[in-house]
Amino acid sequence: MSNGDYIPPRQSALGQFFDSVFLLALVFAALFAPIYLGLAGGGKTELAIADKTTWTGLGQNPVMQAAWEKLGYTPETAAPLIVSRFDYSFDLIALGVTALVVIGYFLLVVAFSKSEYREVIAERFGRKTD
Amino acid sequence: MSQTTTIHGEKISLLRVLGPGHVWALGVGIVLVGEYMGWNFSVGKGGAIAALIACWVAGLLYTCVAMIDSEVTSTVAAAGGQYAQAKHIVGPLMAFNVGLFLVFAYTMLEAANAITLGYLVQTVGGMAGMTDAAGEALVLHDKPFIVLTIMFLAWLNYRGVYATLTFNLVITAIAFIAIIILFFAVKPWTGEVLKHNELLTGLPYDWIGVIAALHFGLWYYLGIEGTCQAAEEVRSPARSLPLGTMTGIMTLLIAATMTWYICAGLMPWEYLGQAVTPLFDAARFMDSMPLMVLLFIGTIFSTLASANGCINDASRAWFSMARDRYLPQWFGAVHPKYRTPYRAIVFLVPVAVLFAYYAPLDQVITFSILSGLLGYTFMTFNVIMFRRKWPLGTIQRGYVHPMHPLPALVLLVLCGATYFAVFLGYGTQLMAMMLFFFIASLWFHFHRYRYVRRGDQFSMPWPRPQGDY
Amino acid sequence: MPDISTLNNYQLLEYGAWGLSFVFGLWMLLDMMKTNITYSEDLLISSREGEIEDALVIDPPHQGGHL
Repeated sequence: MSNGDYIPPRQSALGQFFDSVFLLALVFAALFAPIYLGLAGGGKTELAIADKTTWTGLGQNPVMQAAWEKLGYTPETAAPLIVSRFDYSFDLIALGVTALVVIGYFLLVVAFSKSEYREVIAERFGRKTD
Repeated sequence: MSQTTTIHGEKISLLRVLGPGHVWALGVGIVLVGEYMGWNFSVGKGGAIAALIACWVAGLLYTCVAMIDSEVTSTVAAAGGQYAQAKHIVGPLMAFNVGLFLVFAYTMLEAANAITLGYLVQTVGGMAGMTDAAGEALVLHDKPFIVLTIMFLAWLNYRGVYATLTFNLVITAIAFIAIIILFFAVKPWTGEVLKHNELLTGLPYDWIGVIAALHFGLWYYLGIEGTCQAAEEVRSPARSLPLGTMTGIMTLLIAATMTWYICAGLMPWEYLGQAVTPLFDAARFMDSMPLMVLLFIGTIFSTLASANGCINDASRAWFSMARDRYLPQWFGAVHPKYRTPYRAIVFLVPVAVLFAYYAPLDQVITFSILSGLLGYTFMTFNVIMFRRKWPLGTIQRGYVHPMHPLPALVLLVLCGATYFAVFLGYGTQLMAMMLFFFIASLWFHFHRYRYVRRGDQFSMPWPRPQGDY
Repeated sequence: MPDISTLNNYQLLEYGAWGLSFVFGLWMLLDMMKTNITYSEDLLISSREGEIEDALVIDPPHQGGHL
């Protein structure tokens, strides 16, 4: 039946191959770029602790001390874990830009989808006549 | 070789062989590993109390996800799961994006599982303490076991869905029972082993730590929504999918709370926040060889079950997209003998291997969480549009979720908070990911969509949607 | 290839894992190529998104996994 339905072209094997490669390259670029550029992960800071050689100096009570020792740590090896803190300070502008990008992305996708969806419905159920 | 000729009009499809137990195993199997590793990074993000709050807030988020998803999927039962939902409710480009979210979330989760398994084998190898002739300690490498995990499970998936998910049902059940046994072994009714009073230190980062902890709090449950990927292989999807998903989320809420309770009562939060295998560490505290062996097996099984389910789900999503020609149609093939999307399974193997081989664990987990998060954001407006286009009563629903649109709104708010949490630690990845989906969307809209049949994409026997369409 | 007598158990385990990975990978690749050649492309990609309730319920133990 020819009723104005869209007939897609048949994609050649080479075209299929190129599309797969393109998508794969894009995936790897997006996922490995932050890792290779060293931009991944948040910043860290350290607590200022004067005495890093004793459990009490590190602020550990006897129960904690026993637990650390059970896990095979000494005050020296545990200290880097105990004093390390994530740095949650952030830039409001960066936050704003990120929020805009996420929201903008969804708006764009929904808008494009809507125009494509109308076509789908029109073909499936017939065009509205009014 | 004339047996190769096909009868005109002959078709092959995936097999409908699964019951509700398999759905539970697929959902819980993917997620339970989150209890064995990964969730504890949320302890590092905000302290042990923050991790518990995050666990319950994320539990609320996922209850919303499960409710919404159960309703939509009890009507849109097709192999792509949320992909097929997006195609019928929002539109093709959204569907393409959702399909990619799924493939990313599951392939990255699969890589994370393989990394953990390799690490565990290596650790146990170290504990066995083998030395060479000169007395130097020998090191067991993790890479061969990482690759073997992925290869073996891909092979299992290739060979048929029934065997794959029955295998999952068994090992998931064992991993779950291991957590319960450990819970009773630490005698939570006495204060002998667990020392919450002494170990809990309040909120080291104050309340911002609680929000930051949400990032990895998702890990307690991530992937439960994967149950609906099996829609075309379940015997009665309208009943089995909601049942399997809801019992799954309950199982996970119980397991997550028990896990937190055990670990937070045994280990200082600074250690717990960076441990790779926290439950196995908890067993080491008990000085009991059988418990250690049990939790070792539990960890191995949970990573296997998860990676196994991930291969299943990622390949179904990839396959469904190819069937609609959103991706090269070559991937839309079904194996005539095993009735699995075999080309999609094979294609995703090297992707998973590369990530498991080269990327650090927390990064891989973050990619997975971000993809999941984008998918949950989609669900919020998806269900609202679903109810608008097909109000209750216009089509048959296997399950109707209560209090609409409250779950959708709660989900949206929680997603917003989680984006903020990811932004705090991994803002660059978030942007890189958005850039990727942005480019991929343009590519799809202006190039790829040309090969897609328009009306054929709408395969559900529904009436025309209400509204201006 | 190292001399087999100097291998310790860990190395044997590692080589075993590599070997098994290779076998699984090769099995999938060969079967995929065989299947691609044996059946017509139109049959292989003939699957379509299905209806919600399939009339055909197949006996699981006999057709689900292997045969």
